[in-house]
Amino acid sequence: MIQLEKVSKLYGTVIGANDLTVELGAGAYGIVGPNGSGKTTLINLLTGQLRPTLGKVSVFAQDPWRNRKLLRRIGLCPATDVLYPNVSAYEWVTYQVRLHGLSQADSKQWATESLAQVQMTENMHRPMGEYSLGMRQRTKIAQALAHRPELLILDEPYNGLDPVGRHQMTQLLIQLSEQGTSLLFASHVLHEIEEITSSFLLIHGGRLLASGTASEVEQIIADTPQEVVLIGPDVPKLIPHLADQAWVDSIQLLAERTELRIGLRDPSNLYHSVADWISNDQLQIDQFQTANSNLTAVFESLLRHHRGESK
Amino acid sequence: MNPLLILNVVRFEIRRSLSPGRIAIWSILVLFPIALVAALRLLSSRAAENAEAWGMALYFLVPEVVCLLGLLLWATPAVSTEVEGQTWIYLAMRRSGRNLVLIGKYLTAVLWSCSAACVATTVCTIIMGSAGGLQLWFVICVLSLLSCLAHAALYILIGTVFFRRTMVTAVFYTLLIEYGLAFVPAMANRLTINYRLRGLLAEWMDWTTARTVTENIGGQESAWVHIVVLLATSIALVTASILRLTWTELPTQQEG
Repeated sequence: MIQLEKVSKLYGTVIGANDLTVELGAGAYGIVGPNGSGKTTLINLLTGQLRPTLGKVSVFAQDPWRNRKLLRRIGLCPATDVLYPNVSAYEWVTYQVRLHGLSQADSKQWATESLAQVQMTENMHRPMGEYSLGMRQRTKIAQALAHRPELLILDEPYNGLDPVGRHQMTQLLIQLSEQGTSLLFASHVLHEIEEITSSFLLIHGGRLLASGTASEVEQIIADTPQEVVLIGPDVPKLIPHLADQAWVDSIQLLAERTELRIGLRDPSNLYHSVADWISNDQLQIDQFQTANSNLTAVFESLLRHHRGESK
Repeated sequence: MNPLLILNVVRFEIRRSLSPGRIAIWSILVLFPIALVAALRLLSSRAAENAEAWGMALYFLVPEVVCLLGLLLWATPAVSTEVEGQTWIYLAMRRSGRNLVLIGKYLTAVLWSCSAACVATTVCTIIMGSAGGLQLWFVICVLSLLSCLAHAALYILIGTVFFRRTMVTAVFYTLLIEYGLAFVPAMANRLTINYRLRGLLAEWMDWTTARTVTENIGGQESAWVHIVVLLATSIALVTASILRLTWTELPTQQEG
């Protein structure tokens, strides 16, 4: 379904995608990466909005930049908001479907059906200026679905949705996936994607750092040096304890001696020891940040793995 | 390209732009020449004897000012507002979205501006009384339509080339070329749209005095030459805009 061969995209001197090579068959995939990691660049390359500086992009065996007819088979829900204040969701979605060349009658019918799928039937004739962020998000998803695409690309689709809305959306996406629609779901929140698919692409700095199932990615992280950050006025007092440990790779004292960065291969050793040190020495430590609680740190770990720094 | 789809875009664009603000601007464009002509009419007691002067004034006020102001507001930002509002991606994701939307927005801008120009011309001609007449009304209305078609195409192209600082570029171009170069009695002024419009005005109204005075800024070619040049220019500019938009990587959203 999707093939990227050594694809790079430069914005002047800034690199948006860096030597991406990936092949994806039909199915559901999550694109995970922190903000600014290159997820949207990848989506824009796949939808023919950007032309790769180097390499080749192919979707359904066609070049999306050169063949715009391909867009009929792709639905995109971008991350950006949409607001035409005095137009209703029904008018807008009908218009969007009509731009694919469908008849007026079919456009109206399909728009009504997709708005029903996202629970917008009741409000679809109200002007969009009166909508909440969640309602606008549902409308955006409806326009992506309305022309019945084979590949649905969603960029941060849960933005603005309340927990009920998120659950409904998850159920809808699972249902679409089961019905044979391929999904590409970009998010910086891992667990949002995990509910829908177990296949991930992890992107950071425009590079594809890892791909595979959650357990495969976890194994890569486990094999990669990780960083733990401790913050508090007494963090320098932990240094004598840490300096003696074989599992500690590096220690950095930062931010006016209140932030301690510890590089280690297996954080479990630290988790076993640090509570005792703090308790015995009566230390004040305000924050404990691990790679697992901080997606950027996970990606930093993966980046080190990507550079060949893992054991 | 399905013409019905273009009509669909026009209908959507009119629907979404039918706001109190837009209607207020449209009303100001209509009232501005009417107020000026009414004031002049009150001050002048020899209206009928100055038919050419009244006609020239009406021509300057409507096809050269009202039309250009309207198009600066509605044609120039047609693409840039979608880009800045980050809604361009929704249109660009449609099979023929880029082309259809561009043509639809072009026609919508022509419709808004030309309707203001024609309403203003109608009321002004009535106020002018014997200095106006059906012929002047008809000629100014046709010139307004041609002005809108050609200038809208020009501004749409400026909007697709400079999708940032679009308005500044269009205003600068208008002042320098359409109001500056067009008045320079040299070959270069033949490249301007206003030169063609003035030529048509002189040709159709058969104003010998005005024609003598404005010989070098109004064109001596036949009316058909002017019309063909204006229509060909409009088509060429819109085609250039479509090509530009088809192969340009417009910013779609903030990078994520």
